[in-house]
Amino acid sequence: MDYKKKPLPPVVGKAGFGLLGIGLVLMILAFAVNTQRAFFDYLWMYMFLVSIGVGSLALVALEYLVGATWSTPFRRISEFLASIIPVLAILVIPLFFGMHDLFHWTHPETLQNDPLLQSKASYLNVNFFIVRVAIIFVIWLAFYFLFIRNSQKQDVTKDPALTRQSIKLSAIFAILFIVTISVTAIDWMMSLEYHWYSTMFGVYYFAGTLYVSFAVAAFFAVKLNENGYLSERLSNNHYYSFGAFMFAFNIFWAYIAFSQYMLIWYADIPEETFWIIMRMKGSWAYFSIGLVFVHFIIPFLILLPRSSKVRPGLLTKMAVWFVLAHFYDLYWLIMPTYFKDGFVFGWSELGFMMFAIGLIITVFRIRAAKTNLVPVGDPKLESGLNFHLN
Amino acid sequence: MSFDSTYTRELPLVEAKKSFKEIDEVIALPTETKPTKGWWIAFSISSTALLIGAFCLSLTFYYGIGMWGNNNPVGWAFDIINFVFWIGIGHAGTLISAILFLFRQKWRTGIARFAEAMTIFAVMTAGIFPIIHTGRPWLAGYLLPLPNQNGVWVNFSSPLLWDVFAVSTYFTISFLFWGIGLIPDLATLRDRTTSKIKKTIYSVLSLGWTNSNRNWSNYERAYLILAGISTPLVLSVHTIVSFDFAVSVLPGWHTTIFPPYFVAGAIFSGFGMVSTVLILVRKVFNMEHIITIGHLEKMNKILLATGMMVGYAYGMEFFIAWYSGNTFEQFVFINRAFGPYAWAYWTMVSCNVIFPQLFWFKKIRRSIPITMVLVILVNVGMWFERFVIIVTSLHRDFLPSSWAMYYPTLVDLGLLLGSFGFFFTFLLLFLKTLTLVSISEIKAVVEGAQPTIHPHPGGNGQHHD
Amino acid sequence: MVSIMIKKLINFVKEYDSKDDREPRSKKLFGLAALYNTPNEIITAAADVAGKGYEKFDVYTPYPMHGMDDAMGMKSSKVGYVSFALGLTGMCLALLMIWWMSSVNYQNIIGGKPFFSLPPAIPITFEGTVLLTGIATVFGMLILFNQLPKINSPLNDTDFMKRVSSDKFGVVIKADDEKFSDSEVRKLFLSGGAFEIQEIYYRETNLGIKTPIFDGKFISIIFATAILTAIITYITLNIVLYDVVPFDWMWKQAKINSQSKSDFFPNKAGMREPVNGTVARGFLPYEYKGMPDSSVKLLSNPLAVSRKVLERGQERFNIYCSPCHGYFGEGDGRMKDQFPKPPSLHNQKVLNWSDGNIYHVITNGQNVMPSYAEQVSVDDRWAIIHYIRTLQRSKNASDEDLTKAK
Repeated sequence: MDYKKKPLPPVVGKAGFGLLGIGLVLMILAFAVNTQRAFFDYLWMYMFLVSIGVGSLALVALEYLVGATWSTPFRRISEFLASIIPVLAILVIPLFFGMHDLFHWTHPETLQNDPLLQSKASYLNVNFFIVRVAIIFVIWLAFYFLFIRNSQKQDVTKDPALTRQSIKLSAIFAILFIVTISVTAIDWMMSLEYHWYSTMFGVYYFAGTLYVSFAVAAFFAVKLNENGYLSERLSNNHYYSFGAFMFAFNIFWAYIAFSQYMLIWYADIPEETFWIIMRMKGSWAYFSIGLVFVHFIIPFLILLPRSSKVRPGLLTKMAVWFVLAHFYDLYWLIMPTYFKDGFVFGWSELGFMMFAIGLIITVFRIRAAKTNLVPVGDPKLESGLNFHLN
Repeated sequence: MSFDSTYTRELPLVEAKKSFKEIDEVIALPTETKPTKGWWIAFSISSTALLIGAFCLSLTFYYGIGMWGNNNPVGWAFDIINFVFWIGIGHAGTLISAILFLFRQKWRTGIARFAEAMTIFAVMTAGIFPIIHTGRPWLAGYLLPLPNQNGVWVNFSSPLLWDVFAVSTYFTISFLFWGIGLIPDLATLRDRTTSKIKKTIYSVLSLGWTNSNRNWSNYERAYLILAGISTPLVLSVHTIVSFDFAVSVLPGWHTTIFPPYFVAGAIFSGFGMVSTVLILVRKVFNMEHIITIGHLEKMNKILLATGMMVGYAYGMEFFIAWYSGNTFEQFVFINRAFGPYAWAYWTMVSCNVIFPQLFWFKKIRRSIPITMVLVILVNVGMWFERFVIIVTSLHRDFLPSSWAMYYPTLVDLGLLLGSFGFFFTFLLLFLKTLTLVSISEIKAVVEGAQPTIHPHPGGNGQHHD
Repeated sequence: MVSIMIKKLINFVKEYDSKDDREPRSKKLFGLAALYNTPNEIITAAADVAGKGYEKFDVYTPYPMHGMDDAMGMKSSKVGYVSFALGLTGMCLALLMIWWMSSVNYQNIIGGKPFFSLPPAIPITFEGTVLLTGIATVFGMLILFNQLPKINSPLNDTDFMKRVSSDKFGVVIKADDEKFSDSEVRKLFLSGGAFEIQEIYYRETNLGIKTPIFDGKFISIIFATAILTAIITYITLNIVLYDVVPFDWMWKQAKINSQSKSDFFPNKAGMREPVNGTVARGFLPYEYKGMPDSSVKLLSNPLAVSRKVLERGQERFNIYCSPCHGYFGEGDGRMKDQFPKPPSLHNQKVLNWSDGNIYHVITNGQNVMPSYAEQVSVDDRWAIIHYIRTLQRSKNASDEDLTKAK
């Protein structure tokens, strides 16, 4: 193992803090100017951070579960990104104060006049909602701490038993992850339009979380490795895997998105189509068509050739693209409830985006300062470094 | 024993290190010897089942599909259940041969060929049912957009037509995939045999393959591309099968999770069937060293995972049915779980979700008899899943005055039996005529099969790091 | 008797099966082949051969060996380009087919959806793309890139091939390589650790000495098979299966035709009679039937005059009325010498008639003229009346009309 720990250049910290600071100022301004819009933006940013944080934890679990070795040298990156989870537990609190602004179903007068809402009131009520969020956070935090503890302990002890334990944890987490992420998607995003329902919705959000958290991991991994922070033995073979999986997750998202849209379009039942029609009103129509290109077609065509999956420069650019595409996707899911006539993108939205990106960089930097960037004690590391395509 | 060697990676894929010659012999043996008694017994059972099916089919042709239990409102029953069931069985083969290939899971080599053959036979079996359901299968040419004297074209908005395209494409691509995999093996058989007739056949079928590296290079690239396109193809096939139901407005059919749910179910049932047959085959043909217990354990893990995906879909459907507030939607699910077909529903849930939970235990995953029981239950459960989806949604829908019960007739049951006979007859013939494990692929993953140096023309060999 | 014949047949097959079928080889050298034992030896040998500048050589291994392409100095395979090109073609063809068939050539409204829209076209487009990509990949790889099938390659049927398709690794340098020299090549092989060197000669068929495909017997067998197949197919489809259930195109059906006899009904007729008083659509009874035309003054023409109505009236008039009344209503029809001549429609009596009177005559008949109610529908009768009025107007036009028309 040729890994030597080096501190990250100060520019990373500055960039992170800078974005975080500007974002925070803009956020506060946004709340002062238009509270409801700010809450919607906040929800948008929150869901994005959930995608990154919980998605990264799921990637860590996935690696243990399927016994992948090529990704072992990069596992720390996903672990660092998963550290957003404890921050999320704080970030979620302001949202509870915006429930009235965000969710129409919380209004007592709506409940009184809406028999459909009454029929699901035992699920959609503020108390149970908060209880669910709390339980979900307990699960995420518990697994986050268990995975991180095992992984970091292994750096010192090099004890393979810890890997075995993590594999077992992963199996349990895999199930809980699917359930919690579905509930999160339904609660925070589907219930914005509480009449609308789609059994695919949880899977749709799940596809997005993998899409973006993998891209962010790829971004950090390629950037760090190109600048010599990881190992000289990581090569095109590893990059190819990043490219191929980004490509695969992109197709998976497109598959899920198309299936959901096609079935609603074809059956043409008013209780379902109104959700799509909202996204076809005014300038939203262009936004929706843009989603297909931004999220799927353009990255698909760029990543299709074998050669583009191994070019580090292109990979990092595509990773950034994927991040923006996921913002785009979540905006499409959340904002039509607020901007009913057409989409609006102003300084307020930009501020929340900057805050989210700044937060990711900052959390990563803080975690990277103390911990090895490569899991040096992992028994799979050696074969991960030796990984060859053929 | 170090951790590495007990961990997934470093286990030898072929147990009890065998030489290349021994691998040739073990794999080619079934094709070079007369069938054993056991094979004949199996063959007579399956061909009897096939004949029963053929008899029921001729009854259907002569008297029409009124011989079946289908009625109004249950217009789709055993025929479509069997179609979806067999198409699903096929999916495991493509999953093993294509998706696991892309994920570079080398353990697939031991079972890929066999699973691909199963795919082909399962798709053939599946294809029979929608065609006989039309009542006049000899006019099936009109399913394709062929110019005709009436000047009409097929309905491109119909998911049933998409099925025609999906299933025929799936069959073609699976057949090509299987076929090019067989070419090098047929060349090996050609060079082993002493019989002139066999040699002529193998020579023609192997297209004169010479094992040349210039050919291998193109061959490997083609294989990769085929794997790359087969992966979305296999997803699309069961997705389109799910569209048959989900584009309708029928409660219990129209639900957006159907596509991935059907795909997961297909893989689940396919692995169930592959395991069922493989457990017998490895024993009968003495291939325990090539198709190891490790393979079975990995397949059991996949069964556990896909079983839970199916379970997720069951749960999500139920929850959203309630959440939607739509009384028709709610009724269908209550009717499934507590109505006249509740026994089918609970068979499905227990076989697909509850029993596979036993695979959490390593002991059970590695125990052949328990695995055998569980995978057969998976087959049963997945057949009942299609029964539940199709029959319970149709038999009671919006209009209570047109509710009815569905009961299969003897002809229905005979056709179901016949489909198993058809599938297993082909499978047994395959086992005796072609190599059931890919010789060239298994050789490539034997220890010491790959060079440890990577020289370039004119340069010295550099050592592998 | 039969058993002896079967035994003879079996013996014949066995004898044929065990014959040595190795084709005689010519004296012309195809190349020199060397066999090696281990993967490392062969990959080094391949790099050596390529490094020495040989171009027409190839390596033979029982399975694809990693790194061999680099060792031989080969470029990466180009199969992907063919796949991509045909995949794109498949996608375009499928989309074009769906668009043309469903929205141009055969428009059919289904579920109130547009004739062509993207979401339901995607599944088939996808399948078309995959189908053509797959076919292009396999056949492109086999035929374009590997020049297969070719079962009479000089290498096939040699001991060398038997070894490299099982457990050994081989190199062949072809004799037509520019640098080929027997002794040099042997030296190179031995220095790399080859344990056996073989000379491979061309087959006679390779050199064009023998061409079995033009053999008279072979051609006539193919010919005979083709004719036989055609005859059998014709007989099966057109004679044997022609009238057999269920292949009879549903000619025989378990139903009663309206004209057939039936023992089931008391009156033994297959056709059922309508209930008394049933009125068929468009056949309302005529209320003035058999009455004199004086009683029908109240009837008036319900149709507004329009070009379409007049054209319809003209058409009907020319079909049903003109044979007797003539094309212009002057009573000089084509039947004039075989049938009593009707009076002109331009006489004062008819000019003074109301529309109702003419309608009554068409419906009821008058003198020798029978009723035309069965042949001409109610609307058509009124259209004819409009046309008759037009005729009357044109035949009795005044000068004023001309100035008006200007």
